[in-house]
Amino acid sequence: MSRKGFFTDSTTCIGCKACEVACKQWNQLPDDGFHFTGMSYDQTGDLGCSTWRHVAFVERPVPLPGHATGVGDFSWLMVSDVCKHCQRAGCLEACPTGAIVRTEFDTVYVQPDVCNGCGYCVTACPFGVIDRRPDDGRAWKCTLCYDRLGDGMTPACAKACPTESIAYGDLDVLHERAENRVRELHDQGIISAYLYGKDAANQPGTGGLNAFFLLVDKPEVYNLPPDPVVPTMKAKEAWSAVALGALGMAAVAVGAVLFGRRGSP
Amino acid sequence: MSSSGKDEPSFLDKLQQRGDGRNVNPALGTLLGEGAQQRVTDLDGANPAHTVSSSIPSRSGVASADSPSYHGLPAIKQPVWIATIPTYLFVGGVAGAASLMGLVIDVLGEKELNPLARRCRQLGTVGDMLSAGLLIADLGRPERFLNMLRVFRPTSPMSIGSWVLALSGGLNTVGLVLGRSHGVLGAVGKVSGCSAALLGMPLAGYTAVLLNNTAVPLWQATRRTLPLFFMASATASAGSLLSLLPHTPREAGVLRPYRLAGKVAELAMGYAMEHDARRAPEVARPLDEGVSGTLWKASRACSVAGLLVDALPGRRRWKQVAADLLTTVGAVTARFAVFHGGKASARDPQATFRPQRRGHGAAEVVPGHAVASDGKPFSFPLPVVR
Repeated sequence: MSRKGFFTDSTTCIGCKACEVACKQWNQLPDDGFHFTGMSYDQTGDLGCSTWRHVAFVERPVPLPGHATGVGDFSWLMVSDVCKHCQRAGCLEACPTGAIVRTEFDTVYVQPDVCNGCGYCVTACPFGVIDRRPDDGRAWKCTLCYDRLGDGMTPACAKACPTESIAYGDLDVLHERAENRVRELHDQGIISAYLYGKDAANQPGTGGLNAFFLLVDKPEVYNLPPDPVVPTMKAKEAWSAVALGALGMAAVAVGAVLFGRRGSP
Repeated sequence: MSSSGKDEPSFLDKLQQRGDGRNVNPALGTLLGEGAQQRVTDLDGANPAHTVSSSIPSRSGVASADSPSYHGLPAIKQPVWIATIPTYLFVGGVAGAASLMGLVIDVLGEKELNPLARRCRQLGTVGDMLSAGLLIADLGRPERFLNMLRVFRPTSPMSIGSWVLALSGGLNTVGLVLGRSHGVLGAVGKVSGCSAALLGMPLAGYTAVLLNNTAVPLWQATRRTLPLFFMASATASAGSLLSLLPHTPREAGVLRPYRLAGKVAELAMGYAMEHDARRAPEVARPLDEGVSGTLWKASRACSVAGLLVDALPGRRRWKQVAADLLTTVGAVTARFAVFHGGKASARDPQATFRPQRRGHGAAEVVPGHAVASDGKPFSFPLPVVR
């Protein structure tokens, strides 16, 4: 099977949230309550156990180059966030039960019948995607519609996107398409357009994202980390410290037994 | 549907009354979706994003053009662990250190010290059992705790730790039960006890790696020193607890240097850990402010007092008891401070963003990686001369 993924183009997102609805409906996810957050049109907040697509809304007091608005200096930034299905996935490398696996489509999938809800993946994800549902006790995240891919179908969110802001397909094809799009935008004068997490060269900390993005502002604006790293890459130093500490523990115990004073009260 | 009036609930009302928020009538369609298995009891309680967004704006002040954030929302998820985890961080450490001490006394100590070695083993075994219980209590699906031993994954400190704890607990029990037998059974018991004691060292230290190997800024930033702090603290606590139990004057001669060395190391490593965290001010913030800040200061004070009272001249029992209690309280509080500090730093988006901009993200471990994901060079605190 070829490597599949999403290319999410923030410049064509119109913030209709059809992806959120399609995802909820296809995966039969429960709602998260109906609340107004006071954060622009974003009433969803973030990705979570029962929210696998999330449209971010940023009202920016800076215009996009070449765009004219009737309200002065202003631009909308919208992007549909999703699990990134990292090449080096923090959740997968942290999962102690083997519940999180990499599928034949190169996506990351949580097996609900194996997950015992230890919550370690929740802390290991550098993007804050995966979450444990308190009443269910298991970790959940986007499956990249594993059940649809098996039948050769497009994931629900990409199918529902009216502007093709969410494109699904083979990663090679998506990469080419994304690079062409960036070139097109640069020609139009939107020079801030760039690809976030396209490959290991762009984001060595994750080895590249299977669901990568085209953004026009800093990643932080969209709640994406600027230089994410899979925690496992840094664990070597911690294990070295454990080895050093083990020597110390043994030395203290040996020293105390050998040199501990005889007959002291 | 509206013609039916107020008495009859509409179709949608009926669906809403089912209360799982899916609005799917199982009589009309089967629940086969990937998320359909989610057990739902409390719709509003399940997604904390709304409370977070309304009650916890960015703790790092107003987002500026230099360091923006998304409506001040957390960049990563807060750890979902409950209070049993920091309790385990303490109990597991004590169990590991005590098991190791038991082995060292057995190998190097004279016969007079055998009862102390046995007490060490007992403390280790009880600690292992208690640890397993504390960990299982935290699981979302406790009935599936055996899945922890379904695979061995070297990249996951939790997988390694589960195996270490399971083996250590099992072997310690065998060692304790068969330790006094003769012949083959006795040999099996001795080998088991020895193996369990050796596993005590990783048991006391891996709990720190468990925290270090996460995206939580405070925990990830202290990866060079947190293991040393936990292991020193484990030694100090094990020494204090063994001293609190009744012991002979000869045993006291061994326990005193053991305990004191542990307490000194714990203090030193605590300061080293704090220093490590302070490489980034946003990361160290939870050690100064809020619940975790108070806990951390209290823990430092208890540890200092525990050492000072212990080192004072005088051999009265109450003095010893006070010193050991202070050290124990300090060690427990330190675990809770680190735990809640991690939660607080996960809630602060700037603790994730700003250090990464300064090259504390992947740039720390990937040689030659000089620009962030948006192509901007990292801003190091000092100008880089090339």
